Amino acid sequence: MRPIGFSTGALAKGDFARGLNVQRTIDRIDAVELSALRDHELTALIEAIPSLDLDRFAYVSFHAPSKLQTLDEETVFELLTRLPDSWPIIVHPEILRTPSLWRRLGEQLCLENMDNRKTTGRTPAEMRALFDTFPEATFCLDLGHARQIDPTMTSALQMLRELGERLRQIHVSDLGARGEHLPLGATARQSFARVAHRVPDDCPLIIESVIASDAIERELDAVSDALPIASARAAIA
Amino acid sequence: MSPAIDDLETRLGTRWPAIHAARARTEEVVGQLSASLAEFDDASVSIVVTGSLGRGEATAGSDADWILLVDGPSDPGHAILARNIESQIQSVVTKDVGRTGTFAGIVASHELVHYIAGTSDSNHNLTRRILLLSESRALTNPIVRGRVIRNVLARYVVHDRSVQSRSGRRQNVPHFLLNDVVRYWRTMASDYASKMWERRREGWGIRNVKLRFSRKLLFIGGLLSAFAGELFAPQQLHEVENDEEYFLMLAELIRTQTDVPPLELLARVVLDTNDDDVADAIFSSYDQFLSVLSDSDARKALESVAFEKALETPAYAGLRDASQRFRDGVTRLFFDAHPKLPKLIRDFGVF
Repeated sequence: MRPIGFSTGALAKGDFARGLNVQRTIDRIDAVELSALRDHELTALIEAIPSLDLDRFAYVSFHAPSKLQTLDEETVFELLTRLPDSWPIIVHPEILRTPSLWRRLGEQLCLENMDNRKTTGRTPAEMRALFDTFPEATFCLDLGHARQIDPTMTSALQMLRELGERLRQIHVSDLGARGEHLPLGATARQSFARVAHRVPDDCPLIIESVIASDAIERELDAVSDALPIASARAAIA
Repeated sequence: MSPAIDDLETRLGTRWPAIHAARARTEEVVGQLSASLAEFDDASVSIVVTGSLGRGEATAGSDADWILLVDGPSDPGHAILARNIESQIQSVVTKDVGRTGTFAGIVASHELVHYIAGTSDSNHNLTRRILLLSESRALTNPIVRGRVIRNVLARYVVHDRSVQSRSGRRQNVPHFLLNDVVRYWRTMASDYASKMWERRREGWGIRNVKLRFSRKLLFIGGLLSAFAGELFAPQQLHEVENDEEYFLMLAELIRTQTDVPPLELLARVVLDTNDDDVADAIFSSYDQFLSVLSDSDARKALESVAFEKALETPAYAGLRDASQRFRDGVTRLFFDAHPKLPKLIRDFGVF
């Protein structure tokens, strides 16, 4: 089975406790990404971690703030170092202002490819350049971002081919015109299916579609259909 | 950067100054335009130049053919944006663009991607589509230009496939794209005749020499791009097992050619031959073409030359002779000198 679950931010924005609770009721969810996308959410989430019941999740990752607005870079870094070593820390490249600092995270630093609102990390070439700077870092492929940059999914395919050894997890969602994360639409499912054969069966899928809790099952079905594991693909063929 | 042209010069022990000057002029103008248009950057649009700026062949008399390429939700603000862009571009490049309306204004990606051939395609749409593929450059937001090109190429390459051959060999020359490249070349030639008629030969001279050189070069570049799977494919393309992945990668290989100026693309292929005469015939004549275009008096003579006195007008007569050398060089390249092109032309060029 491929680990699958949601980002707490997608289900409950900064209310991580609710983002966890709604997932606990779904048997097939065994992965989660704890999300502190806004930096003012970071301290509370980090401090709450010892008290969170995460036993049911075979895979846990942590999404670092996407912008630095209330905290400085060193403070954010110091807070993130308190996380368990086994949790990948998903990071948007634009907060990495001091590379020497972040290189200290080694492979725990997990770089995510970006959407068109950003100026780096959008294309395979830009990701290659980032991994030159952070040679030990791992990779979170955001399929929605990759599809926004290139709907044919060639860029996603190139990233999977070139960066496959670094791949740690995949973000899945559709993307709206303003970059907002949406439930998977029909054309997104078609697009994602084009690269499904390159996604390893053991690679966790973290769903970022912003949905209500009563839509969780439907979104899990949509994602599983778009990105089937090898045995399911063989059955379809 | 034109390394293949530089390599050819070294091999022949010569220099083509007008080609270099045009490349430098292009970079200068593109730099000015990009800087002045940076304030109009927007996530769903790209300001794209075509024509001589897109080919890397700008001369002092060049205009700036541009489009506002929109790939996203429609917004009335795009019209305002286009007007502001036009003013800004005219402050940098003062020469007016052509009168057909093809080269200034909003171009929506929807028509470029969905109206390929069929009853909804038009001469304008074909022109814009092929120019985007063959001679375009983004002044802002290259992501959008690349995205639209990938989508167009997906139509040509990924979504149009032949029945697999009995040998199991995959199709690596996309017929749909090749046919549109040929169609556009013939359309340019027919449009030349049409404008001769409609405009009573006004401005025919410069259109004639452009047809003989730069328009023909577009055709050549298009052919070479369509043949990329044969001419430029890395070994890893042939090792791809998954069909979908193969065609996506073939389309991407062709896309990478759209970032190469057509003259440079031609030089890469000429380097594959050992025929220095072919190289000299092609590039010395093209250098002469750019040299004349960059001479304001000669350019004016081309713009006003009377049809009946064409061969008495040195600027035109000299370029006509040069164009025959260019044509002969290209013909020898495609039909004799190159290790792969003669077979490709025989197999795909006519029947």
